[in-house]
Amino acid sequence: MPGLASDPGDSLVPFPPDVRDPVVYPVRHGVNAPIFRVYVSWTRGNLLQVACLRPPEADPAGGEEDEVSDEEIGGKIVEVKLGAGDGEISEAQRRRIAYGSVPAFALLQSRKNSLAAMSRMSASSIRTEWWEHVLDYSHHISDLLGNPMLPSSTVIEDPETVMQPHEEPTRLKAAWQLMEIFYVDKLSLTWLPERLVDWLADYDSLLTRTETTIHSKLAGLQKRLVNLQVVEDDPEYWEVMSLALAVGWLDTVVKLLRLHGSYQLDQLGSRETENGLVEAVAVLVSTMPRMRPHLPTGRLGQCYKTKPEFIKAWEKWRGHISKLDSSAFWVQCSHRQTREGLRNLLQIMLGKVSNLTSATCHWMELFISHFLYIRPFTMGLEGFHSLSQKCMQLRPSSSSSGLMCLLIGILGENPEVVLAECSKTFGPWMVVHAMELLTADNGHADILLHEERYNLGDISIEELHRLVYAQVLSSHPLTWQIAPTYLASCPKQGLGLLEILLYKQPVQHYQMILKNLEICRLYELENISSSIMKIAGTYHWKHGRKGSGVYWLQQARDEVRLNKIAQQLFEYIGKSISDDSFKQWEGLIELLGSQVGTAGGLEFLHKYRDFKRSLQQVQDGSSVDAARQTMESLIQLMKNPSTPQRFWLPLLHDSVKLLHWKAQPLLTVSETNLLLNKLQELSMAKLCPDFCEPNLPPEALSSVRLALATNLGRAILEEC
Amino acid sequence: MARSGDLHFHRFPQSKSVDAVRWLSPFSAFDRFAAAAVHDPDTASSALEIHSLTVDAANPKSPLLHLCSFWSSPSRISSLRSSQTSHKHLVAAAATLSGSLHLLFVDPVEGSIDSELSIADDHSLHAGPISAVDLQAGGQACVSVGEDGRVNLVTVGEARLDHQRVHDSRGLVSYMAARWASPAEFATGGLGFGVQWWDQRKPGGLVSQFKGNWARGSLTGMVHSIDIHPSRKHICVVGGSSGTVFAWDLRSQQQPILLSGVSLNGTTQPISESEVWEVQYDSYTHSSNINSTSSTRILPIMMCSEDGILAVLEQGEEPIELLAENSAINAFDVDPQNPSDVICGLEWESIGILTRSRETVARY
Repeated sequence: MPGLASDPGDSLVPFPPDVRDPVVYPVRHGVNAPIFRVYVSWTRGNLLQVACLRPPEADPAGGEEDEVSDEEIGGKIVEVKLGAGDGEISEAQRRRIAYGSVPAFALLQSRKNSLAAMSRMSASSIRTEWWEHVLDYSHHISDLLGNPMLPSSTVIEDPETVMQPHEEPTRLKAAWQLMEIFYVDKLSLTWLPERLVDWLADYDSLLTRTETTIHSKLAGLQKRLVNLQVVEDDPEYWEVMSLALAVGWLDTVVKLLRLHGSYQLDQLGSRETENGLVEAVAVLVSTMPRMRPHLPTGRLGQCYKTKPEFIKAWEKWRGHISKLDSSAFWVQCSHRQTREGLRNLLQIMLGKVSNLTSATCHWMELFISHFLYIRPFTMGLEGFHSLSQKCMQLRPSSSSSGLMCLLIGILGENPEVVLAECSKTFGPWMVVHAMELLTADNGHADILLHEERYNLGDISIEELHRLVYAQVLSSHPLTWQIAPTYLASCPKQGLGLLEILLYKQPVQHYQMILKNLEICRLYELENISSSIMKIAGTYHWKHGRKGSGVYWLQQARDEVRLNKIAQQLFEYIGKSISDDSFKQWEGLIELLGSQVGTAGGLEFLHKYRDFKRSLQQVQDGSSVDAARQTMESLIQLMKNPSTPQRFWLPLLHDSVKLLHWKAQPLLTVSETNLLLNKLQELSMAKLCPDFCEPNLPPEALSSVRLALATNLGRAILEEC
Repeated sequence: MARSGDLHFHRFPQSKSVDAVRWLSPFSAFDRFAAAAVHDPDTASSALEIHSLTVDAANPKSPLLHLCSFWSSPSRISSLRSSQTSHKHLVAAAATLSGSLHLLFVDPVEGSIDSELSIADDHSLHAGPISAVDLQAGGQACVSVGEDGRVNLVTVGEARLDHQRVHDSRGLVSYMAARWASPAEFATGGLGFGVQWWDQRKPGGLVSQFKGNWARGSLTGMVHSIDIHPSRKHICVVGGSSGTVFAWDLRSQQQPILLSGVSLNGTTQPISESEVWEVQYDSYTHSSNINSTSSTRILPIMMCSEDGILAVLEQGEEPIELLAENSAINAFDVDPQNPSDVICGLEWESIGILTRSRETVARY
């Protein structure tokens, strides 16, 4: 197949062989070689459109070749989805996270804005509690990224299940938690090392993809455990136990210890000392003092809140360990593996560096073991950083994952690196939402992110990333509606991009238009909404949905287009004037409403309909008042400048019968004169080349003139 | 705001857009099915999915939604209604944006789709999207309306659908909502808060129409949904733009009763100012007024809106807000058999099930 990364010479489009880690997307075009042209263009989102064309047939297809061309298509367009992710989080899941983070983000922004307004009045006291708001936000987002680990709450526990089966942790959540620990959570500042211990317990499996971790070793043992007859003979049993102890998974260690053969009833008698030692170690492990306020259920250790209390307990505990280490019972323990294994555990608990180093796989694990057994009071990022450097030297890692780079960035107090890693490994969603954590209580990062930069077009880094994320959101038809939330938080370019986004939305379906207009309403973008309504109106008018077209243009108060439309409509109506088919216009005319000014030239239609209707009534029964009223509306229509000239004669012709009203003349002298003037104007207009002849009998003009003249005569007599 | 009682709301993420939801009336209390019209823009595929709802006896507060079967639709579904048939089937009528109409017959026990009848999108039924469809009780006939201004009557035959055009306004009027009132009468709604009443027995069909004249100037809007109570066929409740919900009584035609929305004198405080996508009588909420049996009083109505509100409205009472979601609620359906349960289609790709517990009843 062409285009394989292994042989760049064979590909359709050559690429330099020295490109590092090219990502190859197979294009299943199914077009037979030779391929003549390849066109590549962007479509929506991260979709690439690839058109593969065969050379045009030199000889136009004959009868026989027709069959061939059925099989051999001349070309094909395929869509290639780029960057389908690392597979850890599906697109649907990504969208779910995007939806879920909107309310939290919006709430945080509004709190920020109201705090900013308040701080103008009272200066400092507010800043102190800001991190609590960010912590709320962070917890909310964190919940979205995956369910919290299930605590081991099952009533009947399988003693051989040393690992709690739980949902696969995600790198995204691991990274989020890491940032929360270091940047936001002020409550846990005093027990930061222990928080990292917890973090590692949850996410150890994500430290590296290629190398072994304690988690992978433990998983390996878990699989074998069922088939092991005598666990204590197995070197892996002891190894895994030391590994788990080194990173503080005390419950796992104790569980494993209790699997020791000496606990079995039939052996208890003969291995009494051995069992005593195992149990003694198990007790020591489970009573390890921990410098933290509380432990999650199922985790072992004894919590101490204050440093003096902890030191006292710690010294006492170490004393116990040393005592046990130097006790005489070891000599009586005949089982070599047990003896060595247990003593190794004791050395780990005493914090012997060589034992710790050999009891860890990854530098991060070594790092954690130092906190647990050597330096439980490590404070400040500087201390963390130097320790991490030391651990990296002791346990060099050949590959570095994004997660570890992020941690190094955090420890090195390097917000640029943190941002870059967030962006590179976790994408725009992470950057935008993690920036809030980064700036929660960090002046340096705050300045870095909020400073307006000339090279970014005078926007800040924060705004830049929000704009990028909003672009990603607006490229998908299901997420574009949440992009405005982020654009609204961009002070410089946000509104402009929002306007472009709103303009770009399709107007085919009224629900979409209305959703679009709702966003305009929320952000008070009246001019955009009227533009959208104009676009929609024109679209529907062009597609034959005249009612919708008029409706939208009316909503947009677009006089100009409504007048144009009116001219077109009059063409239709002019032809079917005295016809019954006028009835079908009823609905549209109803829509236009009777008030002046909302329908442009179309208001004429409404008046015209009213006139027609009263004319009908007069013809049915004949009261003088009704006839008089009809004539009044005729005068109104003739006076109105929006009445098109071409309707003058038909209107007058329709009312000839009323002009001959037997009982009395219905028009006064001045009114008759007005109509005669109009008639005169009409005769003049007839000379113009663009005059359009109404569809009336040829004698219409003369009969109207005669009727008016008669009426004038009668009116003069009447008024005398 | 009135109290809303004890509510449990569960969201079921679907990873595709949920355009419409309906309960399928079950034959037994054990099988509860709901139909959802879904659309996935990534693959440009649309489908009607039949889900079964199960409530674990141990944990009655967290129901489970399980996909039983699905039917691929040729185009995005714009309107969905359901009913029972005399042939021991549940039937769902789905209308699409390309103008086709489909009737799906669902097995009431398995939740599988047994057969399908359809009218293709060859412009014979509608030119362009069908905006609303309604299925008669018993599933024998459908009325469909569209922006093209056609009103069609579709009768369900043995193995085919027949359709006849009741009216064609050739695009001069657009219709957005339709609802049966009786086997012969139905109501439609559209632009400018217009509501039309049709009677098949009358020549031309159109009997009377209402125009939203009270809403002047910019306050006019579209009708999105109509509901008619089987015991009060002379009253249409209508939901539309700008948070407007009103009732139109055929006996006093020019005086609509505004239940929510901005009126001319501005006395009514609207519960929402955005589009009211659907209205439905809520038989679960008992009217607090003893005299509600009087036929002029409007029974409680549920509505959902673009700004995420699900609420119950009652004439002269404070609205009861059931949900205030962050995303739009595009559709909902009150379960006819268990009116305490409401299914919602949420903008953010999920189906929601709202269960109202019995305590709410005890309040009255």
